Amino acid sequence: MQQGTGDSIDPFQFLGHLGEAATIIRGYDWASTPLGPVESWAPCLRTSTAFLLHSPVPIVMLWGPEGVMIYNDAYCDFAGHRHPALLGSNVREGWSEIADFNDNVMKVGLSGGTLAYRDQELTLHRQGFPEQVWMDLDYSPILNEDGVPAGVIAIVVETTDRVLAERRNRQETQRLQNLFSQAPTFMAMTEGPNHRFALINPEYQKLVGDHELVGKTLAEALPEIADQGYVALMDAVFRTGETVKRASERVLFNRTKDAPLEERFVDFVYQPIRDEKGMVTNIFIQGSDVTERVRAEMHQKLLINELNHRVKNTLSSIQSIVSQTLRSAPTKEEASSAITNRILALSRAHNVLTEENWNGANLRTMIESALEAFQYPGRDAFILRGPEMRIGPHAALSIALALHELANNAVKYGALSSPTGYVTINWHVEDNGQFLFSWTEIGGPVVSPSDRQGFGSRLILKILPLELRGQAKSDYRAGGLVFTLTTSIEAITDSALTDAN
Amino acid sequence: MARILVVEDEMLVAMLIEDAIVDLGHQIVGPAMRLETALDAATNETFDFAILDVNLAGKQSFPVADALAARGTPFMFASGYGRAGLADPYCDATILQKPFSPEQLAAILGTVLVARQTE
Repeated sequence: MQQGTGDSIDPFQFLGHLGEAATIIRGYDWASTPLGPVESWAPCLRTSTAFLLHSPVPIVMLWGPEGVMIYNDAYCDFAGHRHPALLGSNVREGWSEIADFNDNVMKVGLSGGTLAYRDQELTLHRQGFPEQVWMDLDYSPILNEDGVPAGVIAIVVETTDRVLAERRNRQETQRLQNLFSQAPTFMAMTEGPNHRFALINPEYQKLVGDHELVGKTLAEALPEIADQGYVALMDAVFRTGETVKRASERVLFNRTKDAPLEERFVDFVYQPIRDEKGMVTNIFIQGSDVTERVRAEMHQKLLINELNHRVKNTLSSIQSIVSQTLRSAPTKEEASSAITNRILALSRAHNVLTEENWNGANLRTMIESALEAFQYPGRDAFILRGPEMRIGPHAALSIALALHELANNAVKYGALSSPTGYVTINWHVEDNGQFLFSWTEIGGPVVSPSDRQGFGSRLILKILPLELRGQAKSDYRAGGLVFTLTTSIEAITDSALTDAN
Repeated sequence: MARILVVEDEMLVAMLIEDAIVDLGHQIVGPAMRLETALDAATNETFDFAILDVNLAGKQSFPVADALAARGTPFMFASGYGRAGLADPYCDATILQKPFSPEQLAAILGTVLVARQTE
């Protein structure tokens, strides 16, 4: 401590402080400043100086119109390399880089006003280079004995570290938000035991449809999910802290208001998030909408099952053709030829149906295909008369097989066994929905019904009408056989072989 | 001799089953080739046993099975889908995978009809 010499009294006794700032104040040539020698200092200046020197908070006092700076130890640290030259200087020169800012401070303070700034950003040259800093700044006037503002006191708390940390946090959050919002998978974060939505990404919104989510609990936001046991599942994750994973799970969402529930298939994970004490606080929901994939797989499975079914049925049909042909054929050679021709007839019918994905066929196309094997060059053996119409796959197959038997019979015994014979095939639909089909042989030899119930006649007269829920009749006239089939339009436009579902 | 209802939507297969049954000395009821006619037969005809195709022109024959079960008439399925084509409550029902041999059919009919006679 610098003592006064001799018996003179220490003029700085009022400071009562032994810190770095106090030492400099004691040694400073105050007479060279607008404040004048310390002996001339007004009591309010003395008291204020002593007050700030005792504060652990960084405080600077700007005295008089020039703003002569007196500050404490805590402010020394803040001032960096500016200290100690800063002490005793006028604020305008001392902090020349922010002179405008301080001009305003002086103006307001010396008019008796106060100023407060939070996280005020300033560029200071404390270390000899420009530095971005943030500060909480509180300015208030110091009044003299007459109640007139004589100086301004500034409490300066640097918040740079906190501001930068917050900025980094914000950037990190923003980065996560970007990852979240751009993720190709759906994501959501819930908070607390009631699973209140805290964050969701656009994919999650897309999955669940038109619902407000953030701020609501899972049960409030998506009641249809609660009904399907997912709130209970989330409860279990929250309670046990164990991750739940599901694949290709069928979930029904009410995606559009007032619309029926929509089926989606999802792969998902419910991942518990723990705090530092290990308690579950949040659940992270992540997953993918795999509806298209699952549907494609289901469709493929259906197709494979369907194909297998069709193969087995076709094998049964072949078995039937072979077995029945062998029963009635007089010789092995005839049996072999009949079996081959019947299998080819079945195959041609399959070709026509496959063209249309087994949904049905055009009747004329089906007839032409069935009779193709019986056409001879240069002869119109068949005259087809009837409207363009579609028939169901079952009716198509049955009619094709029946036509094969009729034509085969006509070639062997009927009109087509004669060079001038021919067949007219007529079909039409009556106004009452009745479907009439006829096969009329013309110009053939006189034929009479055989007693033998062969494969062909059994098929066209007994089974075909059962299949098509109608009546079939054969009539032996002078010109040849007339076969008629009467049924309903419903029976021949029967639905697909299998339901799509 | 027993009366057997045949429910089968494919003409050729229906004829094959008919032959097999007639060869075994039984009598055919039907064949019914669509769900509607099969239901009608299952409700109104008199017979001892039924053979049901599962898929009748796109419709499943389970309602026919229901009607038969209600009447207490024994039946079996015959399907190209095999057991995979069955649904509850018929998953454990007797089924012949198509194609099948007359001997396979005879074995099942033998068991069922003997059981019926001893009841």
